[in-house]
Amino acid sequence: MLKKRPPLLLGTPLAFIAWPLIMNFFYRALCRLAWLALLTGASVHAADTPRQIITKAILAESDDARIATIGSLVGQGDESIKILLAAWKEDALFVYTAPDGTRTPVQLTGEKDAKEAQEAWRVDDGQPLKDAGGQPSRLVGSALTAVEHDSNLRRAMKAVLDLLDLSTTDLEKRVRAIQTIGFAQNPDKIAALEARSKLETAPKAKLALREALALIALKDQSDDVKIAALVELKELHTISSTDFLKATIASPEAAANPKLAQAARSALSAVDNHISWVNFFGTIFRGLSLGSILLVVALGLAITFGLMGVINMAHGEMIAVGAYTTYVVQNIFGTGLALSPFGMSISFPGFHATGWAYESYFIFALPLSFLTAAIAGIAMERTVIQWLYRRPLESLLATWGVSLVLQQFFRRVFGSNNVQVSSPSYLSDNWTFNDIIFGWNRVFVIGFAIAIVFGVWLVLTRTSLGLLIRAVMQNRNMASCMGVRTERVNMLTFGLGSGLAGLAGAFLSQIGNVGPSLGQNYIVDCFMTVVVGGVGNLPGTVVSAFGIGLADQSLQQILLNPVLGKITVLIAIILFLQWRPAGIFVTKSRSLEG
Amino acid sequence: MSAPASTRRIEIIAVAIAAILVIVVLPLLNAHGFISNFTINLWGKYLCFALLAISVDLLWGYTGLLSLGQAMFFSIGGYMLGMHLMLMIGELGVYAQAGKNPLGLPDFMVFLGHTFLPAFWRPFYSFGFSALMVLLLPGVIALVFGFLAFRSRIKGVYFSILTQALTYGGSLMFFRNDMLMGGNNGFTDFKLLLGGDLRNAVPQRNLFIASAVALLLVYVGCRLLNHTKFGLVQRAIRDGENRVLFSGYAAASFKLFIFVLSALIASVGGALYVPQVGGINPSVMTPEKSLEAVVWVAVGGRGTLVGPIIGAISVNALRSWATRSIPDLWPFLLGGMFIIVVLFLPGGLISLPGRVSGWWKRRTAVVAVESAEKPAVVTTTP
Repeated sequence: MLKKRPPLLLGTPLAFIAWPLIMNFFYRALCRLAWLALLTGASVHAADTPRQIITKAILAESDDARIATIGSLVGQGDESIKILLAAWKEDALFVYTAPDGTRTPVQLTGEKDAKEAQEAWRVDDGQPLKDAGGQPSRLVGSALTAVEHDSNLRRAMKAVLDLLDLSTTDLEKRVRAIQTIGFAQNPDKIAALEARSKLETAPKAKLALREALALIALKDQSDDVKIAALVELKELHTISSTDFLKATIASPEAAANPKLAQAARSALSAVDNHISWVNFFGTIFRGLSLGSILLVVALGLAITFGLMGVINMAHGEMIAVGAYTTYVVQNIFGTGLALSPFGMSISFPGFHATGWAYESYFIFALPLSFLTAAIAGIAMERTVIQWLYRRPLESLLATWGVSLVLQQFFRRVFGSNNVQVSSPSYLSDNWTFNDIIFGWNRVFVIGFAIAIVFGVWLVLTRTSLGLLIRAVMQNRNMASCMGVRTERVNMLTFGLGSGLAGLAGAFLSQIGNVGPSLGQNYIVDCFMTVVVGGVGNLPGTVVSAFGIGLADQSLQQILLNPVLGKITVLIAIILFLQWRPAGIFVTKSRSLEG
Repeated sequence: MSAPASTRRIEIIAVAIAAILVIVVLPLLNAHGFISNFTINLWGKYLCFALLAISVDLLWGYTGLLSLGQAMFFSIGGYMLGMHLMLMIGELGVYAQAGKNPLGLPDFMVFLGHTFLPAFWRPFYSFGFSALMVLLLPGVIALVFGFLAFRSRIKGVYFSILTQALTYGGSLMFFRNDMLMGGNNGFTDFKLLLGGDLRNAVPQRNLFIASAVALLLVYVGCRLLNHTKFGLVQRAIRDGENRVLFSGYAAASFKLFIFVLSALIASVGGALYVPQVGGINPSVMTPEKSLEAVVWVAVGGRGTLVGPIIGAISVNALRSWATRSIPDLWPFLLGGMFIIVVLFLPGGLISLPGRVSGWWKRRTAVVAVESAEKPAVVTTTP
């Protein structure tokens, strides 16, 4: 009659979770490859490496040839350029003439020894200069020909160095360099920026270049140039340009020229508009992700409390069980774990996995967290709760006792401090779109919530276990008369609810701290979510979780104070229950005590 | 439901003896040096906890409402008197002694950079006003919250969860520094109360006596209340609220009255607790503290008036011992005690004598039946 298949059925949501992860990995690997190909393609245009070009410049006969050779470095981003040109300016470059007459430019570095000799490095390949015997040789600077430099050459070098950071292959660094130049508003850099604009291919850097050029143009003498820049800034509406726009509005030029003031104001309002959209969507995103967290933690409770009527105050500790399971799994994948609970010492050997093998621990931790918490829940049901089905208030008290015991147990086993659970890289990154930051873990929790709600819905409506659960919850005596083994259904339902709490814990370990009192932070919110949604009603729980999440985040945005926001939400919930005492969705029943 | 007359007489005599012992004998012994100040102080604390336990029991044991908000009312009472005590520190405070606090602000305000006393603090210079607020503020909060909750017929578990949320919200509020109630450090370092120096033995002894008298008054008052028709309706609500409603009683008004009354009792307990312990902070306000008070009641025996007192004193005495000798095992002990009491001893310690005598009677009955060689029918309800 009773098919015991919840773990297998919950495999469905797990597959839902794993699939995007795998796809994400491949997608990123592909992107990285494509990017690499692009980069190498871009720098192949010069046959010589920057070091070789500098070598040529040093050995060039005339000053003009030197300046021209150095000038050919403009637009390249190699780190060696910075080092070598700096050494050149500091008179640390010399030309070494070998006995056979070949001239090799070298850089002398390090402490001078008793003979005033220093280490010599070849400029053309960055390797130590070797003597005939193949040993690194030490040279005395005064015995060599120093490489000279005049003001024209230094100017040419400066042009290269200005553009150096703008040309670095690291996109983030390049964008930062462009922005720094833009914020400094130095008109001298316009040439460098324009030179880079011609080479730049990355859209993000292109936008940054346009912004930087427009910001510098704000310092221009001519009002027409300024207005053109303002039009450009209006089109770009970057948050970083706010202060510059405000400064322009306040400037005497704007007071003299209403057209200019008008353009600046219109650009500023475009930026403000953009900011309010960013805040709006950011709040919605944070609200959705908070709602998903609430949903994930409250879904298990919706089953144990909503369907079974058991007030499980130890629900929070079931969450902590899941979180600690993740911690243990992570350490087993890593360097192993030694625990010393109650004077014993238990040690788990580690796999010493690295890279992707290590980061995949989370995929294994999810089902294990479910299982551990489900087993803990079933043990609790068998020992304590099964005697209290008809006494909800007593179940509240007894499970609170269990929660105290479990918390102290965590303290004794894992220590009273928070433990470190490191997020796998595919969860710790974020993705910025239109200035709105989407943390991968936040995006993932939304998907995760959808997946487990779908999984629970499948279990409850499409399996025989679900049918039995619903039958027992609707009318225990009738189900029992029909031959359903209600005791076992109770046990499995409670296991399912606790297992879901464990899954939530695995996820919370990626978002917040894992400590003995982890569960206590969520228990009030969990109960609120279930009560507001309407007890015994899973769709209600979904609606109320997202409702509370969005309300909380918007109130935080409006009141600018997280605690005040939270208190307001609690008061709002109390008032809401005045209006709908049985929650959003009422489970209709003819029973008086319903 | 009412106990037999003989049991009632035993209870009255026992309470009278205990009252004389606590109110007269213990302070006398302390004054003559037979009992240490520390012990008196500790027992004073237990008596305040007993007040909190009675307030929980009045709701849970007699009306069937498990409120997890009692710790909040307890701490609000404490905070209200605490504000007066903070202002009484005046020139004795750390900053004032260092000459940095000419206006005699509470130290935490000076620390937060305030230069004048906020308006809502000023009336608390008067002890009478503070004492009034000890009753008024929790009373009003309980009235508003209770009115809203009972009007929409929130009961049972929902009531517990809502009061839990209320307490949680309250603690969040008091944890904030800009509430100007001391943030997470709360109030501490009290010096004077009504001219007596709280660091000396005599005012502490007087506080102990005051706590004992308050407990006795509350006990007598609740006892009288239980014997009125009001008490009967109260218990009827616990046992069958719908029947009470259908009989034409406004159950919500009855519940509201009890809720406000027990908030006041808890608040008075808190107000007496703070000067004896020498401080209050928001961690007393958490839902967990309310649940602990529920443990005392459950251990002592709910639905009785002596039970909560016995429970509060015995559990706290156990805690004082355990947190010193086996601090790591105390949560196991508390949690385990809770599970065991709920599962195996729903009537609490107070029901033990009855259970033992019941067991003894049954045993003798079985023996008598067996000797008569008849099938035994054993009734289990006491």
